[in-house]
Amino acid sequence: PLLPAGWSSDKDFKAVGSLSPATQRSLEPVGPHFLAHARRKRHQRTFSEDERI
Amino acid sequence: MSAEEVAASTPERHAIGISFGNSHSSIANTGADGKPEVIANEEGDRQIPSILSYVSGEEFHGTQAKAQLVRNPKNTVAYFRDFLGKDFKQVDPTSAHASAHPQQHESTVAFSIHDSESETPNTVTVSEITTRHIRRLASSASEYLGYKVNAAVVTVPTDFSDKQRAALTEAAKAAGVDVLQFIHEPVAAVLAYDARPEAKVSDKIVVVADLGGTRSDVAVIASRGGLYTILATAHDPELGGSKLDQVLIDHFAKEFVKKHKTDPRENARSLAKLKLESEATKKALSLGTTATLSVESLAEGIDFSATINRTRYELLSSKVFGEFRRLIETAVSKAQLDLLDIDEVILSGGSSHTPKIASVVGAAFPETTTVLAPSTSTSAINPSELAVRGASIQASLIEGFEHEDIEQSTHPVVTVAPHLNRAIGALVISAEEHHGIFRPLLEPETAVPARRTAQFATPKEGGDVLIKIVEAAREIHSRKPEPKPKADEKKDDDDEEDDVSDFTDSEDEEEEIREKKWKVHTVLAEAAIKATKKGSKVEVVINVGSDLGIQITAREVGAQGGVRGSVEKPATAVNGSA
Repeated sequence: PLLPAGWSSDKDFKAVGSLSPATQRSLEPVGPHFLAHARRKRHQRTFSEDERI
Repeated sequence: MSAEEVAASTPERHAIGISFGNSHSSIANTGADGKPEVIANEEGDRQIPSILSYVSGEEFHGTQAKAQLVRNPKNTVAYFRDFLGKDFKQVDPTSAHASAHPQQHESTVAFSIHDSESETPNTVTVSEITTRHIRRLASSASEYLGYKVNAAVVTVPTDFSDKQRAALTEAAKAAGVDVLQFIHEPVAAVLAYDARPEAKVSDKIVVVADLGGTRSDVAVIASRGGLYTILATAHDPELGGSKLDQVLIDHFAKEFVKKHKTDPRENARSLAKLKLESEATKKALSLGTTATLSVESLAEGIDFSATINRTRYELLSSKVFGEFRRLIETAVSKAQLDLLDIDEVILSGGSSHTPKIASVVGAAFPETTTVLAPSTSTSAINPSELAVRGASIQASLIEGFEHEDIEQSTHPVVTVAPHLNRAIGALVISAEEHHGIFRPLLEPETAVPARRTAQFATPKEGGDVLIKIVEAAREIHSRKPEPKPKADEKKDDDDEEDDVSDFTDSEDEEEEIREKKWKVHTVLAEAAIKATKKGSKVEVVINVGSDLGIQITAREVGAQGGVRGSVEKPATAVNGSA
């Protein structure tokens, strides 16, 4: 959408709200993407750190 | 030590995928090319009946053992998977009625069979039967592959208890097979489809209907970026292909009675013959439009031969087909979803070969839903092979892992993750919540941390653009179709709306039209991108952390810099975020 006139914010970004609570569910430990997820979680890496390795 | 780095520490391990069912079992191996291959046993069967039979001390397995159900039912063990790891009181012995009967033996279930040449029968526990069955499966795989198979990933139903898993692990161990991991049958089916080279990992809700021989299980799975979460399951311990066999048994028995005044169902041996042949006729009806049934000396020495066409069979079994459909609908409503939410239906299990089941199930869902069954989709995988293919893919992935690694990775600390309740995306067309169209980037039920990227078109003339990131919920709207086609869909819900949407829906149906719509819940963030060029696109990256904090990056495609910002995690603590 077009930027309304008079809109301004620091560094052009404005945080307004935050997410509603999430549900705890169990993932199925199956498939290559889960194994990647498990690896990130066990080594506490983020996506970009994981990509660099 | 990472899981990948230890690959060489157990060079002797060769793993396959095993699907172990009450009626049939399968074995598959995934080679270096990454393609799963279902292995046929020495008799050429890929669906190997889970049956063992003993004739004067000799063991028969699979199809050969199945044939013994007619002449030697008392020394033939069938349909025993669901007896494993259970108390005698818990088991339903109905399906084992025509073979060796289960009996109570200490804390477990056993069979009294003549499995040696001695005159007295031996009491063989269901664990021992399972061990013998798995030993035969593993040896068939070893013979085909040319090396000793000593490990496996085994598929189990979603309601398989820990006790049953432990009993199966023990039984497999006794057969020299190390169970690396149990995976759920429906998830294995999804993996079998997602692992194909042409498949694209996407965000979708999949219903897996595993229509088996003696039971049917349905699971609703959220597939998000290749991660699978089971949202709901439904089970019917009595619905399955055997009910369809029964339809044919009754049909042919009635014909036989009409001609010969004797009911083949009243004699155990005649019934066993009729059951075996009816099952073969049913399978023939899945491929051709007519099938014959012929049994030599069916009852009182009379041969019987008859033909049935598919239409007749479908009429007779329409009630059973309806039960399959209702089971699927139950699972979807258990997941608190609407049939409109389902993107894909995977039909798995032997009964899914029936063309009418695919069309009955497909009719329950909107046209946008893909039904993956041999009769509805040319790209469908053989439904009998889905579970075992998934298992073999998983086996090839984790073959090199240490047990400790597998255990750590499957531990709840790793598997339990927060899942988004609502979708996160951007508003396009207009910043006003009423006028804007919501484009989801992260679908509901996505496990976090997660990251998605999308590109949006900017207004034609370019200029300054506002990116508005919002949280939205899905709503189902139903409305009566308007008499004139091309009605603006928004008008019906809210008369105050202007003609904003170019979305036209020109279905001229009499029944009411139900559709999915997004309702904006909360605005999360706004970002401005200034002076975009004519016809350029804006790329938005949303990264949700495991604490539900969000990082947002927006930039014009091809341009430098861009806007970055983050949204704080919610103030209230989420129940035990890991």
